[in-house]
Amino acid sequence: METQTPVQVAELVIRDLHANVEDKEILKGVNLTVRQGETHALMGPNGSGKSTLANVIMGHPKYEVTEGEILFKGVNVLDLSADKRARLGLFLAFQYPASIPGVSVANFLRRSLESVREGYDPNAPTAPTGKAEKRKSVNPAEFRKLLQTKMELLKVDRTFINRYINEGFSGGEKKRAEILQMAVLQPQMAVLDETDSGLDIDALKIVSEGVNALTGPNLGILIITHYPRILGYIKPDQVHVMYQGRIIKEGGPDLALELEQKGYEWLVGHLDGNQEATA
Amino acid sequence: MTETLTKGFTRAGVEALSRLKGEPAWMLEKRLAAWETYEQTPAPLGRRGDLGIMRRVAEYKLEKLVPFAANGASSNGHVALPAWESGLLVQHNSNVVASELDPLLSAQGVLLTDLDTAVREYPDLVQKYFMTGVTANTNKYTALHGAFWSGGLFLYVPKGVKVSRPVLARYLLDQPDATNFAHTLIIAEPDSQVIYIEETASSLPEGATALFNGVAEIFAKAGAHVQFNAVQDFGPGVYNVTTKHGVPEKDSYIHWIVADLGADTTLANLGTTMAGSGSNGDIVGVLFATGKQLIQINTLSEHAALSTSADTLFKGVVDDDARVDFEGLIKVAPGAQQTNSYLSDHTLLLSDQARAESIPSLEIAANDVKASHGATTGQIDAEQLFYLMCRGVPEEEARRLIVQGFFEPVLEKIPSDELRSRLRRSIVRKMTKGTQVVDETEWHDVTDQWDIEGAGAEAVQIAGGDE
Repeated sequence: METQTPVQVAELVIRDLHANVEDKEILKGVNLTVRQGETHALMGPNGSGKSTLANVIMGHPKYEVTEGEILFKGVNVLDLSADKRARLGLFLAFQYPASIPGVSVANFLRRSLESVREGYDPNAPTAPTGKAEKRKSVNPAEFRKLLQTKMELLKVDRTFINRYINEGFSGGEKKRAEILQMAVLQPQMAVLDETDSGLDIDALKIVSEGVNALTGPNLGILIITHYPRILGYIKPDQVHVMYQGRIIKEGGPDLALELEQKGYEWLVGHLDGNQEATA
Repeated sequence: MTETLTKGFTRAGVEALSRLKGEPAWMLEKRLAAWETYEQTPAPLGRRGDLGIMRRVAEYKLEKLVPFAANGASSNGHVALPAWESGLLVQHNSNVVASELDPLLSAQGVLLTDLDTAVREYPDLVQKYFMTGVTANTNKYTALHGAFWSGGLFLYVPKGVKVSRPVLARYLLDQPDATNFAHTLIIAEPDSQVIYIEETASSLPEGATALFNGVAEIFAKAGAHVQFNAVQDFGPGVYNVTTKHGVPEKDSYIHWIVADLGADTTLANLGTTMAGSGSNGDIVGVLFATGKQLIQINTLSEHAALSTSADTLFKGVVDDDARVDFEGLIKVAPGAQQTNSYLSDHTLLLSDQARAESIPSLEIAANDVKASHGATTGQIDAEQLFYLMCRGVPEEEARRLIVQGFFEPVLEKIPSDELRSRLRRSIVRKMTKGTQVVDETEWHDVTDQWDIEGAGAEAVQIAGGDE
């Protein structure tokens, strides 16, 4: 089996990542690897740095990386702006998606798809700029069909796409809109930041089914959650527990069940006040 | 007319202009009276601590300007009328070079001529309305206009006549130190309807300046509907000073849509006096200032009768070193009960040097009134920008999307597709600093994006709703 043609598997590798927000260190040496085709869960109590990690992976300008690296497909993405990371195949489903008045979901998503399909090759002698004039436009009929399919998958109301992005959306609609975007853009690595928060049980089921329909050998998922509830619907291959800016425990799907029964106190109780705790 | 008056503005110049035009005595008298006012009136200098725009206008050297510079053909010139328009008038610097009206409308009694012709042919109508909506003593610039007005448009719509396709006026400036004193006079008789579109443009040699001093007066009689659209897209070097005022009578409306995109310096006064009960005067405004552009907008919604309403909404984007100063006033007369009046102004600043001031105010002398005003000024939201970039959209384009989105709710209020597309193109051109005008593919792309937004409902046909 070792002699088989090597398959290019996209890998997200986070090594010894330290990040600050307003000079306060939030991430204190995170190590994590997610490969295409795998689903990982990142759990932990509030304030442990999970959302910071999600934002740092995409390059939010508010966070300053002081040490470590994030590699995706072997490229150090810390040097890239958020749009280039997206075009490389990374995706973030936001915990609190911004609303953008006056820009409709359909309009924006088509531009986004054009940009993402163009991709980003850091080694290309003249890297694509992502500007509209250099981009191949997505065929409207094809786009319509793609949207229709994905909207049915996520049971999204058809009026939805003509509304302004997240403007006046309910909590559940926002989360569904995020997963709809993921379904349309087809990233290779998706970080789902608290996608389950604010969802009632029906919405949670729809969103989870949507995510499950998208999983496969081409998609790696890092699902960030506070509650193990969503992991009843989306089965992770691995579970990581984060606390005070570090991964303190890793395990298989059983770890999530154990956390559900015992709570975080079981893991972190003895770590409180101990800054030297390691995984 | 190929004559040109000597430079600068004088009483002798007023007389020479009137003689040149062969005007009746009553018009010369009006001009001279306006000149008296001009001489006695100081230029408005604005309020303390404002952005200095009115002062800049006041400092403009008028003595080098040519009060009347005729160009090319006289007003007999004929032009082809585009299919979507029912009338067209073109003024080139000081005089009108073409005017056309759909013969079917002429047969119904609609009148469309330059105002000079109207003074000769329809003296009763002109005498009755001319400079009664905007009086010469409104400010120093309207006084100068009253003395030196030339060309412009006279549009008369008889009782009950509905002009469905728009009447278009184009006002152009292309000579250094030229002036364009276009006077627009629109009279809509009871139960008539008309849509008017005014476009202003210029092409001056680099470094040259010229003055546009335009006045528009709109009279809407009982039950009449007038839609007044103005797209100001002057090039560099133009000082643009305008005063527009509408007077809707009982159960009539005058709806204004104004866009100020060009000119170095703009001072625009725009107002409506709701003179009849049940009348309405909405204003939608779009401003986009870049480079060192200065724009001062003063709006007035004056409620002078029972149960009138007005809604003023401005959206402005200010980039580079540009400045925009907005002053809006809602005025409710004693006895103007059951007034509904709203005023809001929202500004997006795209650079650290850009400046905007917004001063909305209320003067209310009746007690059964609903009136409110609001103003916001802000910058592009970092979270919105990050969100769009996380979806693969490069920063520059993401900013453009946010600006388009900022304007979209006001653009949606524009009933004419033609005008809306035109404005969108102008906005895109400004956002890209003109770089996209030459790029055909980008044009299509941009238009397409907007189209999707507008046509979304049928663009995505999905059978059955889920909720």
